[in-house]
Amino acid sequence: MDRELLLEIGCEELPASWLPLLTNQVGEVVVAALAAHRLPPESPAETFSTPRRLTARIARVPERQTDLEELVNGPPVAAAFAPGGMPTPAAVGFAARHGAEVSALERVHTPRGEYLAYRRRQRGRAAIDVLPAVLAAALRALTFPKLMHWDAVLDDGRGELLFGRPIRWMLFLYGGRVVPFTIARSPAAQTPQVQDVASGAVTYGHRFLTTSGRAGRAIKVRSFDEYRTRLLEHFVMLERSERHDKIARELDARAQRLQGRVSRVVRGEAGLLYEVPDLVEYPSVVAGTFAPEFLELPAEVLTTTLIHHQHYFPVETEDGTLKNAFLAVINTEPDDERTITRNAERVVAARLRDARFFWEADRRISLEARIERLATLAFHEKLGTYREKTERLERLAGWIAEHAFGASAETARQAGEAARWAKADLTTDMVRELTELQGIMGGIYAREEGRPEEVWKAIYHHYQPVAVEADAPPTAADLGRAAVTWAAVSLADKLDTLVGLVAAGERPTGSRDPFGLRRAAHGVFKILVDLHELARIPWRPAVQPLLDAAAAGYGRPLADWTPAHVSWFVSFLVERLAFVLESRGFDGRNVRAVTRGRSLSDIRPADELRKLKVLPEFADTADFQQLAIAFKRVRNIARELPLERFELVEQTQPLDLTEPAEQALLTEIDKRRRVIELAVEAGSGYREAFAEAARFKPAVDRFFDDVLVMAPDPHVREGRLRLLRRLERLILRLGDISEIVPEEARPGPSPS
Amino acid sequence: MTFQGLILKLSEFWASRGCVLQQPLDIEVGAGTMHPETFLRVLGPAHWNVAYVQPSRRPADGRFGENPNRLFKHHQFQVILKPSPDEVQQLYLDSLEACGINPRQHDIRFEEDNWESPTLGAWGIGWQVMYDGLEITQFTYFQQAGGVELAPVSAELTYGLERIAMVLQRVDSVYDLEWSPGVTYRDVRLRDEVEQSRYVFNSGVDLPPGEFAAFHRRLFDEHHRFSEALLRSGLLAPALEHCLKCSHLFNVLDASNSVGVTERTAYILRVRRLAVGIAKAYVEQTAPAAR
Repeated sequence: MDRELLLEIGCEELPASWLPLLTNQVGEVVVAALAAHRLPPESPAETFSTPRRLTARIARVPERQTDLEELVNGPPVAAAFAPGGMPTPAAVGFAARHGAEVSALERVHTPRGEYLAYRRRQRGRAAIDVLPAVLAAALRALTFPKLMHWDAVLDDGRGELLFGRPIRWMLFLYGGRVVPFTIARSPAAQTPQVQDVASGAVTYGHRFLTTSGRAGRAIKVRSFDEYRTRLLEHFVMLERSERHDKIARELDARAQRLQGRVSRVVRGEAGLLYEVPDLVEYPSVVAGTFAPEFLELPAEVLTTTLIHHQHYFPVETEDGTLKNAFLAVINTEPDDERTITRNAERVVAARLRDARFFWEADRRISLEARIERLATLAFHEKLGTYREKTERLERLAGWIAEHAFGASAETARQAGEAARWAKADLTTDMVRELTELQGIMGGIYAREEGRPEEVWKAIYHHYQPVAVEADAPPTAADLGRAAVTWAAVSLADKLDTLVGLVAAGERPTGSRDPFGLRRAAHGVFKILVDLHELARIPWRPAVQPLLDAAAAGYGRPLADWTPAHVSWFVSFLVERLAFVLESRGFDGRNVRAVTRGRSLSDIRPADELRKLKVLPEFADTADFQQLAIAFKRVRNIARELPLERFELVEQTQPLDLTEPAEQALLTEIDKRRRVIELAVEAGSGYREAFAEAARFKPAVDRFFDDVLVMAPDPHVREGRLRLLRRLERLILRLGDISEIVPEEARPGPSPS
Repeated sequence: MTFQGLILKLSEFWASRGCVLQQPLDIEVGAGTMHPETFLRVLGPAHWNVAYVQPSRRPADGRFGENPNRLFKHHQFQVILKPSPDEVQQLYLDSLEACGINPRQHDIRFEEDNWESPTLGAWGIGWQVMYDGLEITQFTYFQQAGGVELAPVSAELTYGLERIAMVLQRVDSVYDLEWSPGVTYRDVRLRDEVEQSRYVFNSGVDLPPGEFAAFHRRLFDEHHRFSEALLRSGLLAPALEHCLKCSHLFNVLDASNSVGVTERTAYILRVRRLAVGIAKAYVEQTAPAAR
């Protein structure tokens, strides 16, 4: 412990959702500040947190800074000495500034010539003298999702110290000694009740619990081991995992006593069990019940009320049906838990009574009758109301089912119907109160109205998918007979949002994406990629017609957008598709090959997934690699013939070729076209198609060896370029295989 | 403890901690924050400690006296501590103890909940205080009011009096609360709740169609115009009162479903502009004379 560094930042209650990241950060910023102050830690940082403290402990920190040695450049040697060898004023002045003689200066060679230089040596200072600056740097470096003013100031020259919550104390020890450090308070706030926060050798236990003396009094500690032990004596479990395990253990035991188990809904990273350990310092679990008649409410309403609004755990039977009981994690160890339980039960009963009121009132008005009310709900200031969105969705979802998926007219009708009612629940009291139930409530109310599964489940799940993984909900089992209608409604909703908001000038930037455009695009591509598996629809839609259909809904076809706007949108979409595909573990180069440089009319996400499944078999073979390099060359040269010109001459002029190598390449293209185009049309046989493409290599090589593409005669030149364009267009239907060139073989920037 | 006993205890507690005991603002407001003792006093450098009850009207929460938890008008106990003392959380917990809540026998927690009022251009960082799972207080470190950054920072404690009284008295309906010995909340408040709900939801009000909304719109415009004139004249207290009238009239229009979306945003913006103008002028008027 003689070189142990222990820092505890005692805060007023920090938000639970911040703690996982902050806990890592507090270690990182302390280590970085130590390194920057030439006190590189000799052991890793251990970090801990509770709602009221952020703690970092480093077992060994050097007692002294490393010595500093640096060369400070002065004037060029040429300007430093007069012809007689006498130092010029420039040289004398430079030496004087560093308190040295000119003779003590060194000479250094730089690309710009020889310079005089002064070697500055600074002996490292004792750690205890440097550590205050380390803490100041660490406090400044911590980042919070939201900062607050609390009238605090550091004397590091940067003034006010914003923080996540007010700091109430700082335990700051090095080798058992207090490192002096003070956070001052701004003059405007100074009163006897507003004091500077000075570091000390004390921590504080649980707010209310204590074994002896008054709760909340200061506890003196000298080392980390003592700190941890003393905190536990004062009802603070420092280790998050210990709090988590105690909670999980007690939850299970309590649930068993109720002849049930903890609902599965609360597991996982987004689940309640992940959150509660960061809400408490000394957890225990109590059990409560509610009147069985509330079990008539939909399970989704019960669990949402308990989990999201009360942080309580629902209890279910072995077969997964809810019981009229809940478990509450509390931050105390009461003598008599019945008081707490009774109060918790009273809150739950009041909330469930409200929910039952909504449930009964909402069902008196049909979803159809609610559509009119959507006219008072804004979708976006430039894009009108949800009433208007609903009209667009109804048309778009029906069109997608029939014309993009190839579903029956009846299915298309059902998709349109589901889309028509999809947003109606935004006007229900239940969704206004429990917003996380949007969509879900609409689905349940549609079911209550006797709508078929194809319709109500499409509404129920239409905000999904939220995640991009292949097994992200909804699953085929969730969807049942509604897979096609769901996909149509969900796609329509997301496409309408994307196209509409982008047209209105909204763009995500950096971490700001207030309208969730990235998420919407991920949803679109997740659906399109997995559609075939999930919904067994006959067709594999390309991206472009979907965008066109969505834009038509606004009466503003993409053709009317500025080219820059369209091009931003296309590259945004391609990036998002690439993200979805890469998240499936496919190689980035292969993903680029099937997404970049291709028209959205050619990109069919379901097909791109299939290509990616076979591409690895080819991508690393020597033949394919060489074809990739050759194709890169083809693409670079073919650019000389603009696409519009290419399409015009292809339709109006015969292709005149003279050289045998030209003829040979044309023959190859015509011969191999069939297999490639068949695969692209059918969405299958990509293995054969890539094998076929790989066979172009000799003919392409021969063409480049024998023929000068940029021939002086414009007619000859255009013929050759047309040939390359034909080859390029054909291979691009599979993908831009030039992207598969390994990094080292890529042509680097040309040396200047 | 009776409802009025709770008010007395809290008043006594905060008076003994140096607060000025103020009285409710005598016009309609949605929350204690709108009282000039909060909205204006948190601006500028002058220190101020104050506590008061504020009857608060939320037209949309009116339930014709039929819901045991929701009210057209409820009561807040509002405390402003400027600057916020270091021990403010402990002071708050002491105030609960003074009301007979022993924190050691309950689960009391500070859970993240940041407060924001778009109409007042005000926001703050803080918590909802949970008492055995029930939110009983909004605890806010004021960061901005009327669009003005605040220094020093004030702590605002807003106690939900009905809720606290309900847990102390262990009743399930607000109307069963004992207001004073032998007198219930029902006796005191029910009739007003029913009539006010019928009014704000325009339910059975004998007026030609459209007249209800038209009347409130007219009033809004008049108060708005008058508030602007008062603001131009540097009469900030009455300017704020007419601004608050606008805010309440908007809430009535909103509850009776009389405003569309775009209009809604526009109304909020008009009130906000007034509030921001008043706050800015107040800061200028009260700034220490520059030398």
